[in-house]
Amino acid sequence: MEKWRLIYNPEGSTADVVAHGAAVAEGRIAGKYQLSTTVVPDTVIVQQSTTRGIIAGADVKVDKAAAASAEIAVAQAPRQGRNSARAVSTTPLSEIMAQGSRKFDAVDVEPDDPAVLLYTSGTTGNPKGVTLTHRNFHFQSLTVVPSMVPFTPDDIVVGVLPLYHVYGLSNGLIATLMFGASFALVPQYSPQALLDAVADYKATIMPAIPSMYQHLLTIARARPAKMPKTLRYCVSGGAPLPLNVLREFTTVFGAEISEGYGLTETASSVSCNVSGEGYKEGSIGKAAAGVEMAVLNDEGSELERGEVGEIVIRSETVSPGYWNNEEATKAQFQDDGWFRTGDLGYQDEDGVFFITDRKKDLIIRGGFNISPREVEEVIMQHPKVQEAAVIAAKDKRGEDTVKAFIVTKDGEEVTEREIADHCTDTMAPYKRPRVIEFVDVLPKSATGKVLRTELRGETVDRRLVERGEK
Amino acid sequence: MFGRKRKQATETAVGGKLPMSLGKAIEEIVRRYKRRDALHFEGKAISYQELDENANRVATGLASLGIQRGDRVALMLPNIPDFAYSFLGIQKLGAVAVPFNTMYKGREISFILQDSGAKAIICLSNFANLINELRDECPELNHVIVTGQRTLVFLDPDATVNVQLVFEKSRFAEPDEAMKALGAVFVKTFDKLGVPDPWYKHQGAVRVGGRKIATILLSEIENLYIGNIVTFLSDMDSEPLFKVLYVPPEIKDKALEPLTSISTESGKDVTLDQFKEALSLALSEDLGIEIETGELTRDEMIAYEKNIALANRI
Repeated sequence: MEKWRLIYNPEGSTADVVAHGAAVAEGRIAGKYQLSTTVVPDTVIVQQSTTRGIIAGADVKVDKAAAASAEIAVAQAPRQGRNSARAVSTTPLSEIMAQGSRKFDAVDVEPDDPAVLLYTSGTTGNPKGVTLTHRNFHFQSLTVVPSMVPFTPDDIVVGVLPLYHVYGLSNGLIATLMFGASFALVPQYSPQALLDAVADYKATIMPAIPSMYQHLLTIARARPAKMPKTLRYCVSGGAPLPLNVLREFTTVFGAEISEGYGLTETASSVSCNVSGEGYKEGSIGKAAAGVEMAVLNDEGSELERGEVGEIVIRSETVSPGYWNNEEATKAQFQDDGWFRTGDLGYQDEDGVFFITDRKKDLIIRGGFNISPREVEEVIMQHPKVQEAAVIAAKDKRGEDTVKAFIVTKDGEEVTEREIADHCTDTMAPYKRPRVIEFVDVLPKSATGKVLRTELRGETVDRRLVERGEK
Repeated sequence: MFGRKRKQATETAVGGKLPMSLGKAIEEIVRRYKRRDALHFEGKAISYQELDENANRVATGLASLGIQRGDRVALMLPNIPDFAYSFLGIQKLGAVAVPFNTMYKGREISFILQDSGAKAIICLSNFANLINELRDECPELNHVIVTGQRTLVFLDPDATVNVQLVFEKSRFAEPDEAMKALGAVFVKTFDKLGVPDPWYKHQGAVRVGGRKIATILLSEIENLYIGNIVTFLSDMDSEPLFKVLYVPPEIKDKALEPLTSISTESGKDVTLDQFKEALSLALSEDLGIEIETGELTRDEMIAYEKNIALANRI
C-alpha cells in the first residue's frame, strides 16, 4: 500500500498554517531538481490554531492595531508570482495582459449596441439584467451629468462607491474619465479609509450614499478642525439624505451636497435636488438636461401637479430594456418611450419632483392607501428613534396591516406604547403601526436602500448552492 | 422622440460628437489627456496613457482567448485599477461588461453568469473556487481569469481546521479528476463523523443542504497539486473578524457565506483527533493510501522557518 506522511499540528499558530504547506511544497520541488537528497513522500497536513487569526493575501490591508487589541494574529500569505502556485482551471489576468499588446484600436460598434449589463434584484424572483448601451452612457456622461455637477479635467473624484453598481460606474468612473479628471480608487470602504482618501488625494468631488456622509460626520464631530476642506461638490444618492446631515456636512466640510435620483434602467441620474437657492427639502429636484419626467395615473394619462402617481422617464439615458426578458421589458418600457419607474410621487407647482413610495410597498388597509414612507417619517421624529422601516404585514384575516421595524438610538430604550402614542398624536389612527419590532440594524442594499423585501420575509437565501442532479 | 430638452454638452474631448462608443470615447480622451492622472490607487498615480495601454492589454488578451465583439464578460472585482483596465478593455473590444456585486455567492452568481451567457469572468483570485463550483451550471463560461491577492481566511481556534494535501500531479490524469477525488475523500470523512448527507458538486466546496461545511481549493505548482481545505468542527464565531475588517453592520450577514459545521450537522462534539482519524480512514478507503504520522525533514524545516518569517513580516 502506498504510504503518505501525516503532519499533525493540533496546537499551531496562524503562521504555521501558511508555513507548513509552503515548506512541504518547496521541499518537494527542490527534490525534483535534485537539490535535496531526501525523498519526501506525498503529504497531508492537519492543523488547528490555538489563537484567533487571519491569513491575509498580500493586497489585503489589515488594521494591525485593531487586530492586536482584538487578539487576532495576522499572517501574510506568500506573494504570488509567475512561478508560484495557482488555482487549477484559472487564467491569471497578469498573464494574458503580459502576452497582450499595449496598442489596440477600439472596435467599431453601433451606438445602440449593449455596453454593459447590470443586474438589479427585483422584489421577487430572479434579478433582471438591465441593458445599457453606448448611447446611454454617452448621453448620461455628457448631457445629464454636467447639468448637475460641473466636472473639469482638474477634478479629483473619490471612487468609494462600488463600481459594480450603476451609480459608482456611471457617475463615478465613466463620468470622471469622460471629462479627463482623475479617479481615486477606494478598494474597501470604511469611514476612515474614505476620509483618508479625501485628505490624501485632495479630492474635489465626492459621489457617495447617505450612510457615508453620516459616518464622516461621526468622525468629524470628534476633531472638526482636522477635516479636509478640498471638496467642492458632493452628490448623495441611493437613498434619501436627512436634512440635518446635509446641513452639518456642508458646515464642517465646506462642500454642498446635491441629492440625485436615478435608477439602473436610466444609467444612473435623471434628476437632482441641487443645494443652494433652488433646494427643496425632501425633493428629488427637477428633471436634468435631456430628461423628460412626468407623473402618470394607472391608465397612463399625465396627472395634474400635486397629484400622486407613477413617475415616468423618457430620455436617451434610458435603457432599451431587460436582457433576455421581453415580458419585464414590456411591462416597464412603454412603446411611447416612457419608462415606468415603479416609484410613486408628484410634481409641485415649480416642476420639482417628490417621491412618496415604491408602488409595490404601498399598504392598503380597509380601502385606504397608506404610505410607508409617511409613517416612517413620523416614527423617526421620535427623539429616541434612529431609523425605522414600515411594511405591510398580514393580519389574522389576511389583510394588510402596518408593521414597523425600529432601530433605537445608541443607549436609548423605547416602548411600543410610546411609539404608538407618538403616532396617534401626529397621524390618522388607521396609519398607526399595529405591529412593532425592535431590531439592531435594518437590512440594506449596497447603496444603503432599506430592503423591504427582506423585512417582508419574501426573499429566499440565494447565496445557497443547489445540489441539482447527482 | 428623445430628449426634447437636450442641452449642449459641456465642452470635452468627446463633446458634440453624439453618440460615441465608450471604446472610441476613451481613445479621444487619452489622445487629449495622455500625461494627466486618470487613476489614483494606494498613493500611486496612473496616467491616461498607462490606463489605455493596460486596457489594450486586456482587450488583446481577451481576444486571444476568443472573446469577440458582443460577447459578455463578467466582472467580480472591487475598486482596484484592474477593474478600470478590464472594463475599458472590454469596451475597446466591443464586448459587453457584466459587473456584479463582489459579495454575491452561489445562486446569485450562477444566475447572472447563465442569464448573461458570459464567456469569461474576471474576478479576484480568492473568488476562483466560488466560481469554479458553479462551472458545470454555466456551460458558456470558458474562462475564469483571476487577479489580486485578497484572500482572507479567518481562523477560529475552537472551530477552524486547516488541511493541506501536497501530492504528485501524475496521480491523476487531469485537475478535474483530482478535484473529484478530494471531494469524495472529504464527503467520506464527514460521513464517518456522522454528518448526514454531505455532498460535493464540482469544485470548491463540500456542502450539507445548501450550506458550506468545507472549502476546497486545488492549486498547482510544477509537478505538484496542493489542496487547501478549510473546515469547521463547530460553528465559527466570526464577530471578532469584524473588529479588524470594517463591514457596515447592515450587510454583515451578506459578507460571509452561509456556513455550517461538523458538530451542528452531526449533533455531537467532534475533536481534532477524531477528525484526523476519519480523514486518514477516508484516504485509505478511497485512494488506497496508508497514513503514517511523521515530521518535517531537515530541509523542510529550513523552508518552514523562512516561511514563518515571511508570514510574520506583516
